[in-house]
Amino acid sequence: MLQILIYGAVSSAIYAMLAVGFTLIFGVARILNLAHGSFYALGAYAAYVLTSLLGVPLFIAAPLAVLIVAGFGVVMERFLVRPLRSSQLAVLMITLAVSLAVEQALFITFGSEYRNVPSFVADKLSIGGVDISGQRLLALVAGVLVLLGLWLFIQRTRLGAAILAVSQDPEAAQYMGIPTNRIFSIVMAISAGTAALAGVLVSPFLTVQPTMGLLPMVKAFAIVIVGGLGSIPGSIIASLILGYSETIVAYLISTSWTELVSLVAVVVTLMIRPSGLLGRRAAF
Amino acid sequence: MKRIAPIDIAGGILVVAFLALLPMFAASNYLTGVLTVCVIYGIWASSWDFMSGLTGRENFGHSLFIGAGAYTAGFLSSIWSANPWISLPLGVVIAIAFSLLVGFPTLRLRGPYFALAMLSASAILQRLCLIFWEYTGGEEGIYGLDPLMKNPLHYYWFVLAILAVTVIALTLLAQSHWGLLLRAIRGDEATCQAAGINVTFYKIVSLMISAGFAGLGGALYAHYQLQVSPPLFSVVVSITVIIMVYVGGIGSIYGAAVAAILLTLLTEMLRGFGEYRLWIYTLTLMLILFFLPNGLIAPLWRRLTERLR
Repeated sequence: MLQILIYGAVSSAIYAMLAVGFTLIFGVARILNLAHGSFYALGAYAAYVLTSLLGVPLFIAAPLAVLIVAGFGVVMERFLVRPLRSSQLAVLMITLAVSLAVEQALFITFGSEYRNVPSFVADKLSIGGVDISGQRLLALVAGVLVLLGLWLFIQRTRLGAAILAVSQDPEAAQYMGIPTNRIFSIVMAISAGTAALAGVLVSPFLTVQPTMGLLPMVKAFAIVIVGGLGSIPGSIIASLILGYSETIVAYLISTSWTELVSLVAVVVTLMIRPSGLLGRRAAF
Repeated sequence: MKRIAPIDIAGGILVVAFLALLPMFAASNYLTGVLTVCVIYGIWASSWDFMSGLTGRENFGHSLFIGAGAYTAGFLSSIWSANPWISLPLGVVIAIAFSLLVGFPTLRLRGPYFALAMLSASAILQRLCLIFWEYTGGEEGIYGLDPLMKNPLHYYWFVLAILAVTVIALTLLAQSHWGLLLRAIRGDEATCQAAGINVTFYKIVSLMISAGFAGLGGALYAHYQLQVSPPLFSVVVSITVIIMVYVGGIGSIYGAAVAAILLTLLTEMLRGFGEYRLWIYTLTLMLILFFLPNGLIAPLWRRLTERLR
């Protein structure tokens, strides 16, 4: 029972880090970023290259990896997405093209074999008789801290207020003197950075390979649909729901069936409450 | 109802005749095989174009229908050793069933739900194929399907005839009152709804038509390869099809079919590049998005024949 509680929390935290960035860039810039999964994969690979190949100490490599991917996200938004923003379809196509290009680039450079990243924390901890690797616990703690930090940033700072303003009405925000395009870049950096952080944190205990971004991205879609497109609290709640139900299904039935959880969740949400748990009615 | 211009009919007949005679000049099974795949891609691309090109609801998981048709053929022919000709109608039926499953909850909604749901559904189905490997053969897939026809050249002609029928049927539909409604939905869904058009109904039925042809193509592909495997469901298949439609000129249907044939031939010629092939594809897509938003084939054909219309 406690095992479900702890492992469910870990996967929820990772899902939340992925989904929040995805929903944020959609909510603010109306960019439906199909390359979100490649940020996650790039984060893991950046951690791999920095630690295993270049021998950079882990605690420098992790933030560096996040920064590199955030930079990649900003460049992608500026030069590939922004010129095509007028057409939603073109944005979908270009981000999908980027995700395929990244996957292929990773495949060509590193091959399809699994790569290993050393653990940040080697110790195993025991909570109430449940063994859990320090790495998973670190992912949980980092996830909670990042989400808390993001929430404070958006609610309490001037920049956060500007982001909220743009998400509510980009044109009005522009008239009030908020540099909308710069806000898009900042949000893209945050979005890519959190996804990359998730990739970095899971890299020691999940397999690092070129196609690793696709499935987490599908999960992020599912979470965002269940939580409501563009709603951050919604995606956090949905992450908890999905993370826990997958863990419960894995324990009670088998790990094979976990993939179905997100599919069922999406279908049920779209049938009963299409705007998601906390989505705006405008999503209709 | 708008008539199809005589010049378009002439062009179509010319292209089909050329394609039918092409294997005669270079009598090699290799060329016939490549052309068969080209033509099957043509069926997939034109079926994508019918739904997504006309209504503007972009389908990012066309491989779901392709794979459904192909796996239906695989199960029927290889595991239950049914008559291979049953695969074609049943492949269509199963693909349509999948289109209802995904389309019904998502097409009622505006916004990006349909695109996301299709992408997710095809990715999840690919995973399920691997997870339930006892039934689906896992990575290896299903082997040993029966061919529909012994002679590969006859099979190629058969597939080419199906492509011709597909393109004609979809073009007639697209130019009918029905197609006009679909285009109107792309233009402004709210206005259509206000005008009393049952928007959801039209979107779902056009997805069913699109899925049916894709499933047919999938079954034809399975009976050509004589095996099916999970990559049929992959996002790469969907994106390849979408790129073909983009190159062909979105919403034109015949353009999608021609572009599919040309691009598949091109891919075959690029086989030497191996891993870089998909890169070239992705790059093509990016260039077209930036520089040729209306595509290449259909605008070119229209310009060439402008004076003859």
